Amino acid sequence: MADPRTSRTKAQAGDVLVDVRGLKVHFPIKRGVIFDRTVGHVYAVDGVDLQLRRGETYGLVGESGCGKSTLGRAILNLETPTEGTVLFDGEDIASLKGETLRRKRQHMQMVFQDPMSSLDPRQSVESLLVEGMRAHGLDTDKAATHARLRELLQAVGLPPAALQKYPHEFSGGQRQRIGIARALSVDPELIVADEPVSALDVSVQAQVLNLLEELQDEFGLTFLVVAHDLAVVRHISDRIGVMYLGGLVEESEAGELYDLPLHPYTRALMSAVPVPDPVLEDTREQILLTGDLPSPSRPPSGCRFHTRCPWRQPTRCDDERPQLRVVDVPGASEGHRVACHWVEAIASGDVDRHEVAAEYVGSGDATTPADDGSPFGPASVQEIG
Amino acid sequence: MSATMSLKDDATPSTGPLLSVEDLRVTFQRHGEKPFTAVDGVSFDVHPGQTVGLVGESGCGKSVTSLALMGLLPKRGNRVEGRATYEGTDLLSLSDKEMRDRRGRDIAMIFQDPLSSLNPVVSIGIQVTEVMERHQGMSRKDAMPRARDLLERVGIPDPNARLKNYPHQLSGGMRQRALIAMALACEPRLLIADEPTTALDVTIQAQILALLKELVQDTGTALIMITHDLGVVAGLCDEVNVLYAGRIVERGDRHRLFARPRHPYTHGLLSSIPRLDSPRGEKLTPITGSVSDNLPWTSACAFAPRCSHALDVCRQESPPWEWESDGRGLRCFNPVDPEEVRRG
Repeated sequence: MADPRTSRTKAQAGDVLVDVRGLKVHFPIKRGVIFDRTVGHVYAVDGVDLQLRRGETYGLVGESGCGKSTLGRAILNLETPTEGTVLFDGEDIASLKGETLRRKRQHMQMVFQDPMSSLDPRQSVESLLVEGMRAHGLDTDKAATHARLRELLQAVGLPPAALQKYPHEFSGGQRQRIGIARALSVDPELIVADEPVSALDVSVQAQVLNLLEELQDEFGLTFLVVAHDLAVVRHISDRIGVMYLGGLVEESEAGELYDLPLHPYTRALMSAVPVPDPVLEDTREQILLTGDLPSPSRPPSGCRFHTRCPWRQPTRCDDERPQLRVVDVPGASEGHRVACHWVEAIASGDVDRHEVAAEYVGSGDATTPADDGSPFGPASVQEIG
Repeated sequence: MSATMSLKDDATPSTGPLLSVEDLRVTFQRHGEKPFTAVDGVSFDVHPGQTVGLVGESGCGKSVTSLALMGLLPKRGNRVEGRATYEGTDLLSLSDKEMRDRRGRDIAMIFQDPLSSLNPVVSIGIQVTEVMERHQGMSRKDAMPRARDLLERVGIPDPNARLKNYPHQLSGGMRQRALIAMALACEPRLLIADEPTTALDVTIQAQILALLKELVQDTGTALIMITHDLGVVAGLCDEVNVLYAGRIVERGDRHRLFARPRHPYTHGLLSSIPRLDSPRGEKLTPITGSVSDNLPWTSACAFAPRCSHALDVCRQESPPWEWESDGRGLRCFNPVDPEEVRRG
């Protein structure tokens, strides 16, 4: 069996592995018993450009319904893009079909949020891990497979005895380790981890976060980590993208994003995260956003954030959608891109913060779709549950 | 509105505790199974106007404590022992009928998931007025304007229209606000909030926490805040109780507790969570094992199997509750040396 890892040596770390261009994923809202009318769309991902470099961890943050999970799934071709392309290693994965697509999947794996529902309760750990290897033709020699299984378990910090056990016999943190081992079993290049620690207890989260970091160092993996917890994302990511209502609003190197958040939404998000430090909690300034996230089936015109933005200006914000661009702000580096018309003026203090009146945002009323948003509630379809 | 929500004159801390929980013990016993003690001798006081935090991971007994106090545990299959004295009466000894008269009037509760705690087929307005009709004998006609005021008070936009809405028409944050409005309808002196923001997004969480903080200050209501999030506690609570496997392991004023955690569990929790303001690249120090790796409290320290400070004695004897000189309570044989603490 040829070692699949040898193919990776020709690729340099830092190359673009995944190139997302103008990606849109819209879900139709259907109505009617006999005629399946489409009465609207949920604009889950609406125009995203994103590059993942080989060997980096890219963190995608945002609140529920912002489309972050859908974007992660679209990169793995688990959602069909409505528009735009996803190039994986230079190849457009949306154009792949059948056997070629199945083979390609060996290189991109996913770790899910809830390890209890993503592991088959009736399969032992051994069969869970071997299944993927067999599907990709990596299970040719019994002894080699067995050695590989032990290696995998060791990599994720489980005892060899775990092979004979079933998912229910493990704790939440251990189950997540099994999920990670399963993703690793086919020796992928890219792993998309969708909320990998949010179902875990606080004291166990750190174990899994440390494990992800170790694995990256050891196997040179590329990670896309999708999470709502800003502190978690900042801890493990090299670069971070902040999403709001289907679009990226800011992208930056992780440290810089915390030191110099520029987009009004990022600033509000940062200041909303509670910090376990009473002194800091008492003294820091909070930017409280009013109102709720608008429904992704009826996104606001212009800048999506203008309905809640404390820096909203009378011109441009309401009718012109800002593009992600490199900004001219002291201290901001080349890779720091922000989608805001007024970011320079806000950073220099020329534009002042003002009060925003909360607007009523329904949670989606199934009987009046055109009037009151999507029947899926505040989250996009993929993010429920 | 301002008159009804104003600071109550009896909300002075000198009057002694509003609620005093002593040696609360909740044991679940299913037929033919070994009894399981979910809450194992928990004691704490809540003074008028004070915010007390109960922090811990899943299974530490924090929610069972609140349900026991509210008399909401099922009657069969469990045993509640101890005392919970609220203004001279022991809540745990009250009959169902007496408890119903107090619930919502003297003590109100906010739950984690607002959608499952609101009635889906009754409009918001009726759900809020219901409380006032039941406890204050108001007619629905009189109560409706007050319900409107309450919705406005908790920051719900366009309250007149919202009175006629049903829970599914509101967003998660709005539902939680409606639930808070219901809890405040009879101006309770004690509010119990069980993970009130866990189901919400972080920007909405910030709004709800700011609202709770403001309400506590304005009305003098005492608040018991139950959460797993140490960040939430740090900004809100006067006194923090850290629970592990059904017992309080450390208690202290929030400033002292966060600056110098003494119990290895508190210390471990604080160093295992990634913080937004810590330098990047710093490795997290996880607590090994999982919540289920416990020893029984009766013969050992339950945390000993996961503790980096464990001594032999920790596995052989149950650590007693002791008060430190700085007013902090601690249940540990070998507490963390203050010098060792990462953030001093």
